[in-house]
Amino acid sequence: MAEARPIEVRGLTKRYGSTVAVDDLTFSIPAGRITGFLGPNGAGKTTTLRAVLGLVRPSAGEARVAGEPYRRLRDPLRRVGAVLEADSFHPARSGRNHLRVLALAGGIPLARVDDVLAEVELTGAARRKVGGYSLGMRQRLSVAGALLGLPELLVLDEPANGLDPEGIRWLRNFLREFTAGGGTVFISSHVLAEVAQLANEVVIIHRGRLVAQEPLETLMARAAGGTVARSPEAERLRALFAEAGLEATVISADELRVAAPPERVGEIAAAAGIVLHELRTEAASLEEVFLGLTSEGPS
Amino acid sequence: MIRLIRAELVKLSTTRLFLWLGLLIVALSGFVTTITILSTDELSLATLDQQRSLAQFAAVGAIIALIVGIVLAAGEYAHGTIAHTFLVSPVRPRVVAAKLIAGAIVGVLVTGFAELVTWTIAAAWISGRSVPFLLDSRPILDTYLGILGAGALAAVLGVGLGAVLRRQTAAIVIALVWLLVGEPVLSTAGIQEYAPGHAIAAVAVAGERSSELLGLWPGLLVALFYGIAFAAVGAVLMDRTDVS
Repeated sequence: MAEARPIEVRGLTKRYGSTVAVDDLTFSIPAGRITGFLGPNGAGKTTTLRAVLGLVRPSAGEARVAGEPYRRLRDPLRRVGAVLEADSFHPARSGRNHLRVLALAGGIPLARVDDVLAEVELTGAARRKVGGYSLGMRQRLSVAGALLGLPELLVLDEPANGLDPEGIRWLRNFLREFTAGGGTVFISSHVLAEVAQLANEVVIIHRGRLVAQEPLETLMARAAGGTVARSPEAERLRALFAEAGLEATVISADELRVAAPPERVGEIAAAAGIVLHELRTEAASLEEVFLGLTSEGPS
Repeated sequence: MIRLIRAELVKLSTTRLFLWLGLLIVALSGFVTTITILSTDELSLATLDQQRSLAQFAAVGAIIALIVGIVLAAGEYAHGTIAHTFLVSPVRPRVVAAKLIAGAIVGVLVTGFAELVTWTIAAAWISGRSVPFLLDSRPILDTYLGILGAGALAAVLGVGLGAVLRRQTAAIVIALVWLLVGEPVLSTAGIQEYAPGHAIAAVAVAGERSSELLGLWPGLLVALFYGIAFAAVGAVLMDRTDVS
Protein backbone atom coordinates (compact mmCIF):
# COMPACT_ATOMS: atom_id res chain seq x y z
CA MET A 1 0.00 0.00 0.00
CA ALA A 2 1.33 3.43 -0.93
CA GLU A 3 2.40 5.59 1.98
CA ALA A 4 -0.10 8.31 2.78
CA ARG A 5 0.83 11.80 1.68
CA PRO A 6 1.64 14.30 4.46
CA ILE A 7 -1.51 16.29 3.63
CA GLU A 8 -4.43 15.20 1.49
CA VAL A 9 -7.47 17.37 0.93
CA ARG A 10 -10.41 15.83 -0.90
CA GLY A 11 -13.53 17.70 -1.97
CA LEU A 12 -13.13 20.07 0.97
CA THR A 13 -15.95 22.56 1.24
CA LYS A 14 -16.55 25.03 4.05
CA ARG A 15 -19.58 27.27 4.16
CA TYR A 16 -20.26 30.03 6.64
CA GLY A 17 -23.94 30.68 6.16
CA SER A 18 -24.37 31.61 2.52
CA THR A 19 -20.65 32.34 2.08
CA VAL A 20 -18.57 29.57 0.59
CA ALA A 21 -15.04 29.96 1.97
CA VAL A 22 -13.64 26.76 0.45
CA ASP A 23 -15.32 25.11 -2.51
CA ASP A 24 -14.73 21.46 -3.37
CA LEU A 25 -10.97 21.77 -2.94
CA THR A 26 -8.79 18.77 -3.72
CA PHE A 27 -5.01 18.57 -3.56
CA SER A 28 -2.20 16.78 -1.79
CA ILE A 29 1.36 17.69 -0.97
CA PRO A 30 4.51 15.60 -1.43
CA ALA A 31 6.76 14.52 1.42
CA GLY A 32 10.18 16.03 2.00
CA ARG A 33 9.50 19.19 0.04
CA ILE A 34 8.32 22.72 0.63
CA THR A 35 4.88 23.35 -0.85
CA GLY A 36 3.64 26.90 -1.08
CA PHE A 37 -0.08 27.46 -0.57
CA LEU A 38 -0.92 30.59 -2.47
CA GLY A 39 -3.89 32.77 -3.06
CA PRO A 40 -4.99 36.33 -2.51
CA ASN A 41 -6.31 37.44 0.88
CA GLY A 42 -9.70 35.86 1.45
CA ALA A 43 -9.03 33.01 -0.99
CA GLY A 44 -9.72 30.40 1.71
CA LYS A 45 -6.14 29.49 2.67
CA THR A 46 -6.55 29.93 6.41
CA THR A 47 -9.87 28.09 6.46
CA THR A 48 -8.29 25.22 4.52
CA LEU A 49 -5.30 25.04 6.86
CA ARG A 50 -7.55 25.13 9.92
CA ALA A 51 -9.63 22.31 8.45
CA VAL A 52 -6.41 20.34 7.89
CA LEU A 53 -5.50 20.97 11.55
CA GLY A 54 -8.92 19.93 12.88
CA LEU A 55 -9.81 23.41 14.11
CA VAL A 56 -12.56 23.92 11.53
CA ARG A 57 -15.16 21.30 10.65
CA PRO A 58 -15.61 20.85 6.88
CA SER A 59 -19.14 21.29 5.51
CA ALA A 60 -18.25 18.55 3.05
CA GLY A 61 -15.19 16.58 2.03
CA GLU A 62 -12.24 15.86 4.23
CA ALA A 63 -8.66 16.74 5.06
CA ARG A 64 -6.16 14.16 6.20
CA VAL A 65 -2.74 14.38 7.76
CA ALA A 66 -0.52 11.34 7.21
CA GLY A 67 -3.62 9.43 6.14
CA GLU A 68 -5.82 10.33 9.10
CA PRO A 69 -8.10 13.19 10.05
CA TYR A 70 -6.14 15.44 12.44
CA ARG A 71 -8.63 14.80 15.23
CA ARG A 72 -7.79 11.11 15.15
CA LEU A 73 -4.01 11.55 15.29
CA ARG A 74 -2.35 10.10 18.35
CA ASP A 75 0.16 12.55 19.82
CA PRO A 76 -0.43 15.14 17.08
CA LEU A 77 2.37 17.36 18.42
CA ARG A 78 4.83 14.63 17.35
CA ARG A 79 3.30 14.43 13.86
CA VAL A 80 2.52 18.02 12.89
CA GLY A 81 3.87 21.38 13.95
CA ALA A 82 1.53 24.27 13.25
CA VAL A 83 2.22 28.00 13.10
CA LEU A 84 -1.11 29.80 12.89
CA GLU A 85 -1.71 33.20 11.39
CA ALA A 86 -1.84 35.95 14.05
CA ASP A 87 -1.09 33.35 16.69
CA SER A 88 -2.41 34.15 20.16
CA PHE A 89 -0.71 33.81 23.51
CA HIS A 90 -1.63 34.66 27.07
CA PRO A 91 0.11 38.02 27.51
CA ALA A 92 0.96 37.41 31.18
CA ARG A 93 2.57 34.02 30.56
CA SER A 94 6.25 33.78 29.73
CA GLY A 95 7.35 32.25 26.46
CA ARG A 96 8.96 29.40 28.33
CA ASN A 97 5.82 28.67 30.34
CA HIS A 98 3.73 28.77 27.16
CA LEU A 99 5.92 26.02 25.78
CA ARG A 100 5.87 24.11 29.09
CA VAL A 101 2.07 23.99 28.90
CA LEU A 102 2.21 22.62 25.34
CA ALA A 103 4.91 20.09 26.24
CA LEU A 104 3.02 18.85 29.30
CA ALA A 105 -0.25 18.47 27.39
CA GLY A 106 1.49 16.84 24.44
CA GLY A 107 3.53 14.37 26.49
CA ILE A 108 6.80 15.93 25.36
CA PRO A 109 9.78 15.88 27.76
CA LEU A 110 10.19 19.32 29.33
CA ALA A 111 13.87 19.33 28.32
CA ARG A 112 12.66 19.98 24.75
CA VAL A 113 11.37 23.39 25.83
CA ASP A 114 14.86 24.81 26.30
CA ASP A 115 16.05 23.03 23.15
CA VAL A 116 13.43 24.65 20.91
CA LEU A 117 13.91 28.04 22.56
CA ALA A 118 17.57 27.82 21.62
CA GLU A 119 16.67 26.61 18.13
CA VAL A 120 14.56 29.71 17.46
CA GLU A 121 17.10 31.96 19.21
CA LEU A 122 14.69 32.99 21.95
CA THR A 123 16.55 31.73 25.01
CA GLY A 124 17.34 35.23 26.25
CA ALA A 125 13.68 36.23 26.29
CA ALA A 126 12.32 32.89 27.48
CA ARG A 127 11.32 34.10 30.94
CA ARG A 128 9.82 37.38 29.76
CA LYS A 129 6.06 37.72 29.46
CA VAL A 130 4.80 37.23 25.91
CA GLY A 131 2.85 40.49 26.18
CA GLY A 132 6.20 42.26 25.85
CA TYR A 133 7.35 40.30 22.80
CA SER A 134 7.71 41.88 19.38
CA LEU A 135 5.79 40.37 16.47
CA GLY A 136 8.94 38.64 15.28
CA MET A 137 9.54 37.12 18.72
CA ARG A 138 5.96 35.87 18.84
CA GLN A 139 6.42 34.30 15.45
CA ARG A 140 9.56 32.56 16.68
CA LEU A 141 7.70 31.37 19.75
CA SER A 142 5.03 29.92 17.45
CA VAL A 143 7.73 28.11 15.50
CA ALA A 144 9.24 26.86 18.77
CA GLY A 145 5.86 25.43 19.76
CA ALA A 146 5.56 23.75 16.38
CA LEU A 147 8.97 22.11 16.80
CA LEU A 148 8.42 20.76 20.32
CA GLY A 149 7.41 17.27 19.22
CA LEU A 150 10.08 16.94 16.51
CA PRO A 151 7.37 16.61 13.84
CA GLU A 152 8.03 15.65 10.24
CA LEU A 153 5.45 18.10 8.92
CA LEU A 154 5.26 21.84 9.49
CA VAL A 155 2.14 23.79 8.54
CA LEU A 156 2.63 27.53 8.52
CA ASP A 157 -0.10 30.07 7.83
CA GLU A 158 1.27 33.38 6.51
CA PRO A 159 4.32 33.14 8.78
CA ALA A 160 6.06 36.12 7.17
CA ASN A 161 3.23 38.55 7.93
CA GLY A 162 4.64 41.44 9.91
CA LEU A 163 8.17 40.04 10.01
CA ASP A 164 11.05 42.37 9.24
CA PRO A 165 13.53 41.39 6.49
CA GLU A 166 15.86 39.82 9.05
CA GLY A 167 13.01 37.76 10.44
CA ILE A 168 11.98 36.62 6.97
CA ARG A 169 15.55 35.60 6.18
CA TRP A 170 15.75 33.68 9.45
CA LEU A 171 12.49 31.88 8.69
CA ARG A 172 13.59 31.04 5.16
CA ASN A 173 16.90 29.59 6.32
CA PHE A 174 15.18 27.72 9.08
CA LEU A 175 12.66 26.08 6.74
CA ARG A 176 15.40 25.14 4.26
CA GLU A 177 17.29 23.42 7.06
CA PHE A 178 14.11 21.69 8.19
CA THR A 179 13.47 20.16 4.77
CA ALA A 180 17.16 19.36 4.32
CA GLY A 181 16.68 17.14 7.36
CA GLY A 182 13.83 15.30 5.63
CA GLY A 183 10.91 17.40 6.87
CA THR A 184 7.90 18.50 4.87
CA VAL A 185 6.66 22.09 4.88
CA PHE A 186 3.28 23.46 3.81
CA ILE A 187 3.43 27.24 3.92
CA SER A 188 0.70 29.67 2.96
CA SER A 189 1.18 33.17 1.67
CA HIS A 190 -0.65 35.75 -0.38
CA VAL A 191 2.68 36.99 -1.76
CA LEU A 192 4.20 34.70 -4.36
CA ALA A 193 7.66 36.25 -4.05
CA GLU A 194 7.87 35.15 -0.40
CA VAL A 195 7.29 31.54 -1.33
CA ALA A 196 9.06 31.55 -4.71
CA GLN A 197 12.47 31.55 -3.02
CA LEU A 198 11.58 28.56 -0.90
CA ALA A 199 8.99 26.31 -2.45
CA ASN A 200 9.45 23.30 -4.67
CA GLU A 201 5.73 23.05 -5.40
CA VAL A 202 2.83 25.45 -5.34
CA VAL A 203 -0.86 25.00 -4.71
CA ILE A 204 -2.77 28.08 -5.84
CA ILE A 205 -6.36 28.76 -4.84
CA HIS A 206 -8.76 31.56 -5.60
CA ARG A 207 -12.22 32.08 -4.16
CA GLY A 208 -11.90 28.78 -2.35
CA ARG A 209 -11.19 26.73 -5.48
CA LEU A 210 -8.04 25.15 -6.83
CA VAL A 211 -6.50 27.17 -9.64
CA ALA A 212 -3.21 25.33 -10.07
CA GLN A 213 -1.01 22.73 -8.44
CA GLU A 214 2.36 22.33 -10.04
CA PRO A 215 6.10 22.37 -9.43
CA LEU A 216 7.50 25.86 -9.08
CA GLU A 217 9.59 25.31 -12.22
CA THR A 218 6.40 24.89 -14.25
CA LEU A 219 5.05 28.11 -12.88
CA MET A 220 8.35 29.79 -13.72
CA ALA A 221 8.19 28.38 -17.23
CA ARG A 222 4.82 30.08 -17.63
CA ALA A 223 6.49 33.26 -16.54
CA ALA A 224 9.16 32.85 -19.18
CA GLY A 225 6.66 34.28 -21.69
CA GLY A 226 7.68 34.47 -25.37
CA THR A 227 10.13 35.98 -27.81
CA VAL A 228 9.60 39.19 -29.71
CA ALA A 229 11.10 39.31 -33.20
CA ARG A 230 11.32 42.52 -35.28
CA SER A 231 11.86 42.05 -38.97
CA PRO A 232 11.02 43.85 -42.24
CA GLU A 233 9.63 40.47 -43.40
CA ALA A 234 7.39 39.88 -40.40
CA GLU A 235 4.51 38.44 -42.42
CA ARG A 236 6.75 35.84 -44.14
CA LEU A 237 8.32 35.01 -40.80
CA ARG A 238 4.90 34.46 -39.31
CA ALA A 239 4.06 31.94 -42.03
CA LEU A 240 7.31 30.07 -41.31
CA PHE A 241 6.51 29.93 -37.60
CA ALA A 242 3.08 28.54 -38.40
CA GLU A 243 4.71 25.84 -40.57
CA ALA A 244 6.94 24.99 -37.64
CA GLY A 245 3.90 24.70 -35.37
CA LEU A 246 4.72 27.82 -33.34
CA GLU A 247 2.05 30.28 -32.39
CA ALA A 248 2.94 33.82 -33.36
CA THR A 249 0.93 36.96 -32.81
CA VAL A 250 1.35 40.26 -34.60
CA ILE A 251 2.33 43.16 -32.36
CA SER A 252 2.85 45.71 -35.12
CA ALA A 253 3.66 45.74 -38.84
CA ASP A 254 7.21 44.55 -38.24
CA GLU A 255 6.92 42.86 -34.83
CA LEU A 256 5.80 39.36 -33.82
CA ARG A 257 5.51 37.63 -30.47
CA VAL A 258 6.37 33.92 -30.71
CA ALA A 259 5.78 31.27 -28.07
CA ALA A 260 9.28 29.87 -28.36
CA PRO A 261 12.73 30.57 -26.97
CA PRO A 262 14.84 33.15 -28.90
CA GLU A 263 17.31 30.48 -30.09
CA ARG A 264 14.55 28.65 -31.98
CA VAL A 265 13.15 31.85 -33.45
CA GLY A 266 16.62 32.94 -34.60
CA GLU A 267 17.35 29.56 -36.19
CA ILE A 268 14.10 29.57 -38.21
CA ALA A 269 14.76 33.11 -39.44
CA ALA A 270 18.39 32.33 -40.35
CA ALA A 271 17.42 29.14 -42.20
CA ALA A 272 15.04 31.17 -44.40
CA GLY A 273 17.56 33.99 -44.84
CA ILE A 274 15.29 36.50 -43.16
CA VAL A 275 16.86 39.58 -41.63
CA LEU A 276 16.07 40.26 -37.99
CA HIS A 277 16.41 43.77 -36.58
CA GLU A 278 15.68 42.73 -33.05
CA LEU A 279 15.25 39.53 -31.07
CA ARG A 280 14.38 39.75 -27.40
CA THR A 281 12.71 37.65 -24.71
CA GLU A 282 9.63 39.01 -23.10
CA ALA A 283 9.13 37.59 -19.62
CA ALA A 284 6.17 38.07 -17.36
CA SER A 285 7.10 38.21 -13.69
CA LEU A 286 6.08 35.32 -11.48
CA GLU A 287 3.83 37.78 -9.70
CA GLU A 288 2.08 38.60 -12.99
CA VAL A 289 1.50 34.90 -13.64
CA PHE A 290 0.15 34.51 -10.13
CA LEU A 291 -2.13 37.49 -10.50
CA GLY A 292 -3.23 36.20 -13.88
CA LEU A 293 -4.13 32.82 -12.42
CA THR A 294 -5.96 34.27 -9.46
CA SER A 295 -7.88 36.85 -11.43
CA GLU A 296 -8.98 34.44 -14.13
CA GLY A 297 -9.91 31.81 -11.59
CA PRO A 298 -13.38 30.46 -11.09
CA SER A 299 -16.00 32.92 -10.01
CA MET B 1 -5.60 12.52 30.82
CA ILE B 2 -3.18 13.17 33.69
CA ARG B 3 -0.88 15.18 31.42
CA LEU B 4 -3.82 17.31 30.27
CA ILE B 5 -4.83 17.97 33.89
CA ARG B 6 -1.25 18.95 34.74
CA ALA B 7 -1.17 21.27 31.74
CA GLU B 8 -4.40 22.94 32.90
CA LEU B 9 -2.94 23.45 36.37
CA VAL B 10 0.23 24.95 34.90
CA LYS B 11 -1.87 27.27 32.73
CA LEU B 12 -3.52 28.67 35.84
CA SER B 13 -0.34 28.92 37.85
CA THR B 14 1.71 30.71 35.20
CA THR B 15 -0.36 33.88 35.00
CA ARG B 16 -1.10 36.40 37.72
CA LEU B 17 -4.59 34.97 38.28
CA PHE B 18 -3.76 33.30 41.59
CA LEU B 19 -1.97 36.39 42.86
CA TRP B 20 -4.98 38.65 42.27
CA LEU B 21 -7.53 36.13 43.49
CA GLY B 22 -5.39 35.41 46.55
CA LEU B 23 -5.27 39.11 47.38
CA LEU B 24 -9.03 39.28 46.86
CA ILE B 25 -9.56 36.39 49.26
CA VAL B 26 -7.29 37.97 51.88
CA ALA B 27 -9.10 41.30 51.52
CA LEU B 28 -12.64 39.90 51.55
CA SER B 29 -12.23 37.14 54.13
CA GLY B 30 -9.93 39.20 56.32
CA PHE B 31 -12.16 42.26 56.27
CA VAL B 32 -15.43 40.43 56.95
CA THR B 33 -13.93 38.21 59.66
CA THR B 34 -12.28 41.13 61.44
CA ILE B 35 -15.36 43.39 61.27
CA THR B 36 -17.59 40.59 62.55
CA ILE B 37 -15.32 39.80 65.51
CA LEU B 38 -14.94 43.46 66.41
CA SER B 39 -18.71 43.94 66.39
CA THR B 40 -19.44 40.80 68.42
CA ASP B 41 -19.48 40.79 72.23
CA GLU B 42 -17.53 38.14 74.09
CA LEU B 43 -20.65 36.34 75.26
CA SER B 44 -21.76 35.68 71.69
CA LEU B 45 -18.21 34.96 70.51
CA ALA B 46 -17.98 32.17 73.07
CA THR B 47 -20.71 30.17 71.34
CA LEU B 48 -20.13 27.42 68.82
CA ASP B 49 -22.64 28.96 66.40
CA GLN B 50 -20.81 32.28 66.32
CA GLN B 51 -17.39 30.72 65.84
CA ARG B 52 -18.83 28.49 63.13
CA SER B 53 -20.27 31.51 61.35
CA LEU B 54 -16.74 32.97 61.38
CA ALA B 55 -15.46 29.78 59.75
CA GLN B 56 -18.19 30.04 57.12
CA PHE B 57 -16.75 33.32 55.84
CA ALA B 58 -14.22 31.09 54.07
CA ALA B 59 -17.08 30.20 51.72
CA VAL B 60 -16.14 33.35 49.81
CA GLY B 61 -13.46 31.03 48.43
CA ALA B 62 -16.20 29.06 46.68
CA ILE B 63 -17.22 32.17 44.73
CA ILE B 64 -13.59 32.69 43.78
CA ALA B 65 -13.42 29.02 42.78
CA LEU B 66 -16.45 29.54 40.54
CA ILE B 67 -14.60 32.38 38.80
CA VAL B 68 -11.46 30.25 38.46
CA GLY B 69 -13.57 27.52 36.84
CA ILE B 70 -15.01 29.99 34.36
CA VAL B 71 -11.53 31.30 33.55
CA LEU B 72 -10.28 27.73 33.05
CA ALA B 73 -12.89 27.03 30.38
CA ALA B 74 -13.62 30.41 28.80
CA GLY B 75 -10.31 32.21 29.40
CA GLU B 76 -8.65 30.33 26.59
CA TYR B 77 -11.21 31.69 24.16
CA ALA B 78 -10.64 35.20 25.51
CA HIS B 79 -6.89 34.98 24.88
CA GLY B 80 -7.09 32.83 21.74
CA THR B 81 -4.96 30.07 23.26
CA ILE B 82 -7.73 27.51 22.73
CA ALA B 83 -6.30 26.82 19.26
CA HIS B 84 -3.02 25.64 20.85
CA THR B 85 -4.97 23.48 23.28
CA PHE B 86 -6.98 21.78 20.53
CA LEU B 87 -3.91 21.33 18.32
CA VAL B 88 -2.19 19.42 21.13
CA SER B 89 -5.33 17.61 22.23
CA PRO B 90 -7.81 17.47 19.32
CA VAL B 91 -10.35 15.33 21.18
CA ARG B 92 -12.17 18.26 22.73
CA PRO B 93 -14.38 16.46 25.29
CA ARG B 94 -11.14 15.19 26.87
CA VAL B 95 -10.01 18.78 27.23
CA VAL B 96 -13.28 19.66 28.99
CA ALA B 97 -12.90 16.64 31.28
CA ALA B 98 -9.34 17.69 32.15
CA LYS B 99 -10.53 21.20 32.91
CA LEU B 100 -13.28 19.82 35.17
CA ILE B 101 -10.82 17.78 37.21
CA ALA B 102 -8.23 20.57 37.32
CA GLY B 103 -11.05 22.94 38.34
CA ALA B 104 -12.10 20.68 41.20
CA ILE B 105 -8.49 20.51 42.45
CA VAL B 106 -8.05 24.26 42.24
CA GLY B 107 -11.45 24.81 43.87
CA VAL B 108 -10.26 22.85 46.90
CA LEU B 109 -6.96 24.80 46.96
CA VAL B 110 -8.69 28.17 46.67
CA THR B 111 -11.23 27.49 49.41
CA GLY B 112 -8.46 25.93 51.49
CA PHE B 113 -6.54 29.19 51.23
CA ALA B 114 -9.67 31.15 52.19
CA GLU B 115 -10.06 28.88 55.22
CA LEU B 116 -6.44 29.43 56.19
CA VAL B 117 -6.95 33.20 56.04
CA THR B 118 -10.21 33.25 58.02
CA TRP B 119 -8.95 30.69 60.54
CA THR B 120 -5.71 32.62 61.15
CA ILE B 121 -7.53 35.92 61.69
CA ALA B 122 -10.30 34.40 63.80
CA ALA B 123 -7.85 32.36 65.86
CA ALA B 124 -5.68 35.43 66.52
CA TRP B 125 -8.66 37.49 67.74
CA ILE B 126 -10.29 34.70 69.75
CA SER B 127 -7.02 33.71 71.44
CA GLY B 128 -6.64 37.28 72.66
CA ARG B 129 -10.01 37.24 74.42
CA SER B 130 -11.40 35.38 77.37
CA VAL B 131 -13.54 33.03 75.30
CA PRO B 132 -13.22 29.29 74.63
CA PHE B 133 -11.36 28.39 71.44
CA LEU B 134 -13.78 26.24 69.40
CA LEU B 135 -12.25 26.63 65.93
CA ASP B 136 -10.72 23.17 66.23
CA SER B 137 -13.95 21.50 67.36
CA ARG B 138 -15.51 18.74 65.26
CA PRO B 139 -18.56 20.76 64.04
CA ILE B 140 -16.33 23.56 62.81
CA LEU B 141 -13.89 21.14 61.18
CA ASP B 142 -16.92 19.64 59.40
CA THR B 143 -17.78 23.12 58.19
CA TYR B 144 -14.27 23.57 56.83
CA LEU B 145 -14.56 20.20 55.08
CA GLY B 146 -17.91 21.20 53.59
CA ILE B 147 -16.45 24.46 52.29
CA LEU B 148 -13.64 22.56 50.58
CA GLY B 149 -16.27 20.40 48.85
CA ALA B 150 -18.25 23.52 47.94
CA GLY B 151 -15.10 25.00 46.39
CA ALA B 152 -14.61 21.92 44.21
CA LEU B 153 -18.28 21.94 43.15
CA ALA B 154 -18.29 25.68 42.45
CA ALA B 155 -15.21 25.35 40.23
CA VAL B 156 -16.79 22.43 38.36
CA LEU B 157 -19.92 24.52 37.84
CA GLY B 158 -17.69 27.39 36.64
CA VAL B 159 -15.95 25.16 34.11
CA GLY B 160 -19.33 23.96 32.85
CA LEU B 161 -20.73 27.46 32.54
CA GLY B 162 -17.54 28.72 30.89
CA ALA B 163 -17.64 25.82 28.42
CA VAL B 164 -21.24 26.59 27.49
CA LEU B 165 -20.78 30.35 27.07
CA ARG B 166 -17.10 30.50 26.03
CA ARG B 167 -17.10 34.21 26.84
CA GLN B 168 -15.19 34.83 30.02
CA THR B 169 -16.51 38.23 31.10
CA ALA B 170 -20.09 37.42 30.15
CA ALA B 171 -19.92 34.12 32.04
CA ILE B 172 -18.56 35.77 35.21
CA VAL B 173 -21.17 38.54 35.09
CA ILE B 174 -24.02 36.08 34.49
CA ALA B 175 -22.83 33.81 37.31
CA LEU B 176 -22.55 36.66 39.82
CA VAL B 177 -25.86 38.23 38.80
CA TRP B 178 -27.52 34.84 39.13
CA LEU B 179 -26.06 34.30 42.62
CA LEU B 180 -26.75 37.82 43.85
CA VAL B 181 -30.10 38.45 42.16
CA GLY B 182 -31.50 35.30 40.56
CA GLU B 183 -31.33 32.97 43.55
CA PRO B 184 -32.58 35.55 46.09
CA VAL B 185 -35.59 36.05 43.81
CA LEU B 186 -36.17 32.28 43.84
CA SER B 187 -35.92 32.42 47.63
CA THR B 188 -38.86 34.80 47.82
CA ALA B 189 -40.91 32.15 46.00
CA GLY B 190 -39.54 29.45 48.28
CA ILE B 191 -38.10 27.39 45.40
CA GLN B 192 -34.42 28.15 45.93
CA GLU B 193 -33.36 24.76 47.35
CA TYR B 194 -32.58 23.22 43.98
CA ALA B 195 -30.85 26.26 42.54
CA PRO B 196 -27.10 25.69 41.93
CA GLY B 197 -25.90 28.31 44.42
CA HIS B 198 -28.08 26.97 47.19
CA ALA B 199 -27.11 23.39 46.39
CA ILE B 200 -23.44 24.35 46.78
CA ALA B 201 -24.29 26.25 49.96
CA ALA B 202 -25.89 23.09 51.35
CA VAL B 203 -22.51 21.39 50.94
CA ALA B 204 -20.67 24.39 52.37
CA VAL B 205 -22.64 24.31 55.63
CA ALA B 206 -21.91 20.58 55.83
CA GLY B 207 -25.44 19.48 56.51
CA GLU B 208 -26.15 22.10 59.16
CA ARG B 209 -29.94 22.17 59.41
CA SER B 210 -31.51 24.94 57.40
CA SER B 211 -35.05 25.30 56.11
CA GLU B 212 -33.71 27.03 52.98
CA LEU B 213 -31.17 24.40 51.97
CA LEU B 214 -31.09 20.78 50.99
CA GLY B 215 -29.23 18.32 53.17
CA LEU B 216 -25.53 17.65 52.57
CA TRP B 217 -25.84 14.69 50.19
CA PRO B 218 -28.85 15.90 48.17
CA GLY B 219 -27.13 19.27 47.90
CA LEU B 220 -23.92 17.61 46.70
CA LEU B 221 -25.77 15.56 44.09
CA VAL B 222 -27.76 18.54 42.80
CA ALA B 223 -24.63 20.73 42.60
CA LEU B 224 -22.73 17.95 40.85
CA PHE B 225 -25.62 17.49 38.42
CA TYR B 226 -25.49 21.16 37.43
CA GLY B 227 -21.72 21.09 36.97
CA ILE B 228 -21.68 17.89 34.90
CA ALA B 229 -24.75 18.89 32.86
CA PHE B 230 -23.28 22.28 31.97
CA ALA B 231 -19.93 20.66 31.17
CA ALA B 232 -21.57 18.03 28.94
CA VAL B 233 -23.46 20.67 26.99
CA GLY B 234 -20.30 22.79 26.88
CA ALA B 235 -18.25 19.85 25.59
CA VAL B 236 -20.73 19.27 22.75
CA LEU B 237 -20.74 22.98 21.87
CA MET B 238 -16.94 23.19 22.00
CA ASP B 239 -16.66 20.11 19.83
CA ARG B 240 -18.96 21.56 17.17
CA THR B 241 -17.64 25.09 17.17
CA ASP B 242 -14.92 26.11 14.74
CA VAL B 243 -11.81 27.77 16.11
CA SER B 244 -11.08 30.59 13.74
